[in-house]
Amino acid sequence: MNAIEVKNISKKFKVYIDKSSSLKEKILFKKRNYHEDKIVLQHISFNIEKGESVGLIGVNGCGKSTMLKLIAKIIFPNEGTIATHGRVSSLIELGAGFHPDMTGRENIYTNASIFGLSHSQIEKKMDAIINFSELGDAIDQPVRTYSSGMYMRLAFSVAIHVDADILLVDEILAVGDLAFQEKCLQRMREIREEGTTIVIVSHALGQIESICNRTIWLKDGTIQMDGLPEDVHRKYLQAIGM
Amino acid sequence: MEIIRELYQYREMISNLVKKDLRGRYKGSVFGFLWTFINPLLQLCVYTMVFSVILRAGIDKYYLFLFVALIPWIFFSTSVNVGSNIIIQEKNLVTKIYFPREVLPVALVTSNFVNMLYSFIIVLAAVVLLGNNVNFVAWIFLPLIMAVEFVFTLGCTLLFSAITVYFRDMQHILGIVTMAWQFLTPVMYSVDMVPEELIPYFMANPMTSIIIAFRDVLYYGSFPEISILFIPFSESVILLVFGEVVFHRLQRGFAEEL
Repeated sequence: MNAIEVKNISKKFKVYIDKSSSLKEKILFKKRNYHEDKIVLQHISFNIEKGESVGLIGVNGCGKSTMLKLIAKIIFPNEGTIATHGRVSSLIELGAGFHPDMTGRENIYTNASIFGLSHSQIEKKMDAIINFSELGDAIDQPVRTYSSGMYMRLAFSVAIHVDADILLVDEILAVGDLAFQEKCLQRMREIREEGTTIVIVSHALGQIESICNRTIWLKDGTIQMDGLPEDVHRKYLQAIGM
Repeated sequence: MEIIRELYQYREMISNLVKKDLRGRYKGSVFGFLWTFINPLLQLCVYTMVFSVILRAGIDKYYLFLFVALIPWIFFSTSVNVGSNIIIQEKNLVTKIYFPREVLPVALVTSNFVNMLYSFIIVLAAVVLLGNNVNFVAWIFLPLIMAVEFVFTLGCTLLFSAITVYFRDMQHILGIVTMAWQFLTPVMYSVDMVPEELIPYFMANPMTSIIIAFRDVLYYGSFPEISILFIPFSESVILLVFGEVVFHRLQRGFAEEL
């Protein structure tokens, strides 16, 4: 069974020379509204089976983050369709919706509710989330007093405990100390074993190899290669000259 | 239909946003949450002073006549005005994470609605203490009238919040439109003062029937005419469906437009 079905999608962004969005500007500066279409992805199709874990790689600007945002339904394709089956949790931006004046605990409620969890589901997960974050007593301090590492740990703990069917991760394991990074990878391997479908965007090929059983390499908005991580990574490294 | 199921799934997010808004509104002020009650009370005092001492209107207890209509009106106009900006205001969430975007306008209208319910404690107390015609039985119509107003307000807010993302002038236009709308709705005057030939136009405005119904129940102590409530109800439902269809189409581009 497929968890994610991407059929022939294309995505372009409008690049405005100088964008105006009020009526006055729209009329007065008609010229400025000229924009160029920048094609980010073209005619991409792939399926990801339930339980698969896939790494998306490619050089900057190749469209891999756009792909992830499309799967997360934050943006929509200009052509083609994307179907996802099950609850999607995205770690695209950690701590989206965190409120600096609220305590860590209150932010867990807010953040988990944005992922669509009910009150009782959050209550049930609360202890596990706090434990995983290793924040201890700081959990009842306002989030603005946190270091960026603490902030990241809290955000990651919430997102990883959502019990998603599909987990989307964008380049976030780059932060935090090594011990916590290893703990996150370990946790991701665990939820992979539980049958969660995982899609990771990363430049850290080693991390992808330790979690994923498949890598898709995007180049200039198309799929350059799709296969076992080791094979794809070798070709990729050759291509970028390393 | 799908959206109703999804909104139900995200009910915790809605209730969180509502609570945050209600608590945050008067955060840091000395009276805090009490302002929810002080505010309408002070308004009533001002109207009473102005209209019973200085500007004598030809309507008995004009301050009460005005008060019972103004509180529901403020719910509507605040929701539409603040609501038109809600997607832009929550840009951080919309561009970074998936959730049904309808959550934002729904939560905003709900929080203003709850605020109106609190104000109604003052309204009902004022009616009992100061009113000439208190009819407790007629009060059973209040939830019905409020429900109609809620549906209408939500429909408007969905529509305008989605349009404002693409057309930022909308919020400034709405400021003027809601002001004009208030004068074209019998909030400050009685519908009897409207020239006969203009009545059909007035009745095409759902807010007219809603305000009349509130006033019938609270000021005149009579039962509202169900027939005049039925039309705004149908109009409101149609508007809500239309608003949602437009919102749903436009929301696809929110993250890119912001």
